[in-house]
Amino acid sequence: MTDNRPMMKRRRFLQYAGIGLALPWMETFAAKAEPRQKMARFVSIYHPDGVGLPRQDDPAWKDWSWFPQGGERDFRLTKVLNVLEPLRSEITIYSGLSHPAARKVHGHSNADQYLTGAATGSDGPYKNTISLDQIIAAQLGRHTRHSSIVLSTNAGTGAPRATHTSSFDPQGRPIPSINRPKEIFDLLFVTQGKETRDKLARSKSALDLLIANVNTLNRKLSRHDRETLQQYLDAVRDTEVKLLKAEEWIDTALPEVDAHHLNLEVTVRDSRAYVQTIYELIFLAFLSDSSRVATYMMGRENTGGPQDLLARAVGLNNTHALTHDVKKPKGWQNLGIYNRFQAEEFGRFIQKLKDTPEPDGNGTLLDNTFAMHGSASSSFHLSRNYPIISAGGKNLGFQNGRYLKFARGDENNQAYAGIDDDTGWQSDIGHHEIPLGHLFVTILQRMGLETNEFAGIKGGLIRV
Amino acid sequence: MSCSEHAISRVFPVTLAALLVFSPIAAMADAIPEANVDDYQKIIAPLFAKSCMDCHGPKKSKAGIRIDQLDPNLLTGADTERWVEIYDVLSQNEMPPDDEPDYHLKGEDRARIIEWLSHEMQKASKVRKNFGGHSSFRRMANYEYNHALQDLLNLNLQFTETLPPENSSEDGFKNSSKFLQMSAAQLETYREIALKALQKATVAGDRPTVVTWQIPMQEAMDKAAALKQKPIRFKNPDDASNTNHTHVFNKDDGEGYSYQWAYYESLDDGTHYGIWNLKPDTTTSPAPPVSRVVAVIPPSQQFHLDLGNSVPDEGLLRVRIRVGTSERQSGQTANLRLSFGFQTSNEGRMSARLSERDIEVTASAEDPQFLTFDVPLELLPRNPFRKTHKIGDQPNCTEYLEIQNISATGRGNGRPVHLEIDYVEIEAGLYETWPPPSHTTVFFESPNHHDEDAYCREILKRFMTRAWRRPIAEEDIAAYHELFKNYRPGFPSFRETIIEVLATVLASPEFLYLVQTEPDTPSLTISDLELANRLSFFLWSSIPDAPLLDLALAGKLTSPDILNAQIQRMVADPKSQRFNQHFVRQWLGLEAMDNLVVDPFKFGGYDEAFQETLIAEPHAFFDHILRNNRSIMDFLQSDYLVINEPLARHYDILGVSGQEFRKVPISPGVKRGGLLTTAAVLTMTSTGVDSNPLKRGLWLLEKMLHDPPPPAPPDVPAVDLTDPRILKMTPKERMADHRNQPACHSCHAKIDPWGISLENFDAIGRYRTTINDQPVDATAVLYNHKELQGVEGLKNYLMADRQDQFAKAMVHKMSTYALGRPMTFADRGEIEKMATELKKRGNGLQDLVSIVIHSPLFQQKIKRDSENDR
Repeated sequence: MTDNRPMMKRRRFLQYAGIGLALPWMETFAAKAEPRQKMARFVSIYHPDGVGLPRQDDPAWKDWSWFPQGGERDFRLTKVLNVLEPLRSEITIYSGLSHPAARKVHGHSNADQYLTGAATGSDGPYKNTISLDQIIAAQLGRHTRHSSIVLSTNAGTGAPRATHTSSFDPQGRPIPSINRPKEIFDLLFVTQGKETRDKLARSKSALDLLIANVNTLNRKLSRHDRETLQQYLDAVRDTEVKLLKAEEWIDTALPEVDAHHLNLEVTVRDSRAYVQTIYELIFLAFLSDSSRVATYMMGRENTGGPQDLLARAVGLNNTHALTHDVKKPKGWQNLGIYNRFQAEEFGRFIQKLKDTPEPDGNGTLLDNTFAMHGSASSSFHLSRNYPIISAGGKNLGFQNGRYLKFARGDENNQAYAGIDDDTGWQSDIGHHEIPLGHLFVTILQRMGLETNEFAGIKGGLIRV
Repeated sequence: MSCSEHAISRVFPVTLAALLVFSPIAAMADAIPEANVDDYQKIIAPLFAKSCMDCHGPKKSKAGIRIDQLDPNLLTGADTERWVEIYDVLSQNEMPPDDEPDYHLKGEDRARIIEWLSHEMQKASKVRKNFGGHSSFRRMANYEYNHALQDLLNLNLQFTETLPPENSSEDGFKNSSKFLQMSAAQLETYREIALKALQKATVAGDRPTVVTWQIPMQEAMDKAAALKQKPIRFKNPDDASNTNHTHVFNKDDGEGYSYQWAYYESLDDGTHYGIWNLKPDTTTSPAPPVSRVVAVIPPSQQFHLDLGNSVPDEGLLRVRIRVGTSERQSGQTANLRLSFGFQTSNEGRMSARLSERDIEVTASAEDPQFLTFDVPLELLPRNPFRKTHKIGDQPNCTEYLEIQNISATGRGNGRPVHLEIDYVEIEAGLYETWPPPSHTTVFFESPNHHDEDAYCREILKRFMTRAWRRPIAEEDIAAYHELFKNYRPGFPSFRETIIEVLATVLASPEFLYLVQTEPDTPSLTISDLELANRLSFFLWSSIPDAPLLDLALAGKLTSPDILNAQIQRMVADPKSQRFNQHFVRQWLGLEAMDNLVVDPFKFGGYDEAFQETLIAEPHAFFDHILRNNRSIMDFLQSDYLVINEPLARHYDILGVSGQEFRKVPISPGVKRGGLLTTAAVLTMTSTGVDSNPLKRGLWLLEKMLHDPPPPAPPDVPAVDLTDPRILKMTPKERMADHRNQPACHSCHAKIDPWGISLENFDAIGRYRTTINDQPVDATAVLYNHKELQGVEGLKNYLMADRQDQFAKAMVHKMSTYALGRPMTFADRGEIEKMATELKKRGNGLQDLVSIVIHSPLFQQKIKRDSENDR
């Protein structure tokens, strides 16, 4: 018997990663759009390595400290972020936020919990929880062909505590990310195969049979118990509706996208062009309304992999080593220049969203998009005071042009500033930080979800 | 800690247990009873007006009770359960409060109200019997679904990871018909799980080759040498026991190497990832004679065997370790822990233990023993790069076995006890038989093997009978056969088509729901098939097995001898461990342990493995009581414990060695015995940092006495732990401070004293005599003025005054679990009868199981469609 070939095919099909699979049975498509609702989009960019945090008495502090200096409105951007100066009124910068469950996890192991807030720890058994983008995708994904897109530079899931993806499903399992621009493009804009259609047809005949089973069973039940079983029947009917909508997606023409300006074969060896291409693909996914939710993990933490090449964009090698070498000549400057590159490409993307009117005329793409850029480390291996920039979301209720400081006792971002050894990350926290989960609650609420809690953190973030 | 913290879980306080105090009234046997509202208006209502109305009337409605608005007709009115609560507080002298002399209720008036209420309740119970409340029709709970798939497919894996978690009922039960929901996402997940399970259960092709490693420690020593590990040379090989790092060496000449596995090594010619891997063997041979070359693992150290990326995905992993210990002195023991894991990079890592508990090594190094571990590979955490990367690549793609020495050194100051291993044998991807039983369960031998349609129908008939637990009619088969014919062209093989069809059989409500058919005869007795299902879900948390189902299909199960024989068989079957596992967990609320974070700085030795040992104790205790049909009063107080060595240490009890749980008699000086003083209960009801008398009091009231207090009002002030004044207080003082606030007093006075009497136990259940250098004050006064002198006072009081209440609580909890529905007022008469019967028979736990199974509650159905249905 050698009948395992099609099973292999199915497995390969499942490995078609990078798509948030909202419906396990149907595996491919989110349901077809319902009547158009208020537009909202979410994108998270994760960058590894944290940022530079020199001590205030260090000469490098003035120019190469990542965090702005000054107050909420009158803040001054250092040379790291001043590339965002033209977009000043479109961005918000946060300090003093972190996930409490990870504050004493080493910076190499903290990316897993950036969008989940889970206590993923350092060793032994591992359990994560659903990520912010997937909660949003469960809501917004109903309107688009793909409930979300999950991208990275490293591809796949990575390993526990060394994730290659920012996105985790409702059971906390990593959603494999994809990294090749060609693969991403094909997924978004090239037709799906016959296999999907056959699968949908099979699911439909199964549902017909299950409805027949319910009817047979109902004849034996009391009225009260029939009411209980009604829930099952409703579940079958809901599934039928979803199947029908998924089928409509197959029959709906894919958006035609002009990709002439894109080099879909670019790799991270050409790191600036690569990062730009990924941003461009997210932009196209949004513009064509193929998806409203995206994550991009620009690199996994620590060294050893394609993320090592990121700093080549600014002519530097050994990306992760930049964070170790801050005390060497030009150390803070080199790290700052690398972070500046990340900010610059984020800014380019934001500018593009800002320059593009919403197809339905309701403002620009940026006005309806909450874009978040950040890392789970501030200074060296330190899982606290996440450096986060958000942009856009005006129509969702976000007010930008601000630097929001949330720490108490560390207003100038000086806690463990300047360290370059491992004495900091497991030390006690002398100051008070606010759970990042509060910001996530606010995001969820403004995306239209009725919730007041994220990963055990209750209530939104004040002042946002 | 705040009042509101306990408000969420108990929205509907329904107190049934304490009302079962009065005697039955024989005269009412036949007449259709009517409510006695006249007496209420003439006699009772004026008494309420005088003593109760100011706090429970139009002015204030404390505890949410408006006594002037309750319907005095208990037989048909909507407030019966409120009346039960009122009966409860009056008969226990809890109301009106003692400190309100203006509202004093004279003894004879109190008696009058109680008498009226007890009559009315008695009548109401009779009238409402078999009506109202939830029926037992429900879907399987997640854990039942898991066991059902395991049993149906003969496949011992875990299936329910992807199902949404379920809510518990107010009293902690997960299998309650009131709470088990269904949604579209869930339905899709059920089919997806079933398909994957069937894919795993059935196989194609030839028996996979087993990957084998036979590792004499000379091989490990060669590896260590090749990887430039630090050489060692002991003049006297006996000195080996003085080093505290894992090493391999030859006991004859004392020479060897340190052995420190890492996921990469930096050698002269560069960095090598996964270079510690040991190649699998191509041939296998019998185990070699015991060798003098050994790996030595000192306490708290570990020894890794790197298996490269050759471990297959499926089948069994069998590990055999030949191990002994260095010299042990009396009281010294050594335990071995085996884990499987991987490290891909500096930070990417994961590992999991291969046995629930550590294994005691009893053999000496001179005469070692084999320890064998069998684990399905599907349950292990796997290196995500094992297929995409080669050994040597970064990230590292290898996987390892880790052997740890978990030796608690005995009280004597003997030398540390080392584990010595001379040989390890690993078989991966093993199948005892091929095709495995899970395959032949579905694809059995048949003469029709080559006739797809005929074979399909045979498979469907057999599979559906087991899965749907009923006779399968021709039209049932025909419908699924049609589906098969529809699917067949889409798949290259018969097998793949069949499992797609069977996955739909398992998504059907006939599999997912526990059916109770509407009676079409006046008899309320459930059918044989329904009885078989109730029995197996009660005792096995799963579908009936073939013998039970066959008896039911043949209509023989209701015969008393056969039923009793089946109960005996089922309790003796290892699957009855699931009854222990799930009932005890739900009854005691052990799930709370999952969410408790024990302060790692304050309690250094408390780790995941110890927590599992802690949780195992109440289960082991329950098992002992069940197997020996001992009295359920042992749960309140016992003169023995069922513990193992780590728990004995925790309890300061000498002379218990080894990981196995066993009965240990205790002297009266040891302040243990019963459930209340198990470390599991005491830890679960702490904050993880310190004891919490409120949580302990609540736990006792809810779980042992089934007398949950009303939920806290929504706006009570929380205890401000940032207030330095409060921070300095002991838990008891904090409680007193909180309790003295008017909004909190009335409830806390009912709850706290129970917990305060347990103040001699810290956050992980260790006995203590001081808190913050002050002697522990564990004296508490109950609401009824009974003074409890610490834990002994508490237990003495429970044994003297609360045995009946506990017995009724136990009957109530077990019936709730057995029936998978909440108990209602209508059930209280039967619960009372069962408790009486239990007492008559001597309170044995097995008797209780039997009484529940033979009760009308279990064997009759609720008549549903009636005017009294609500």
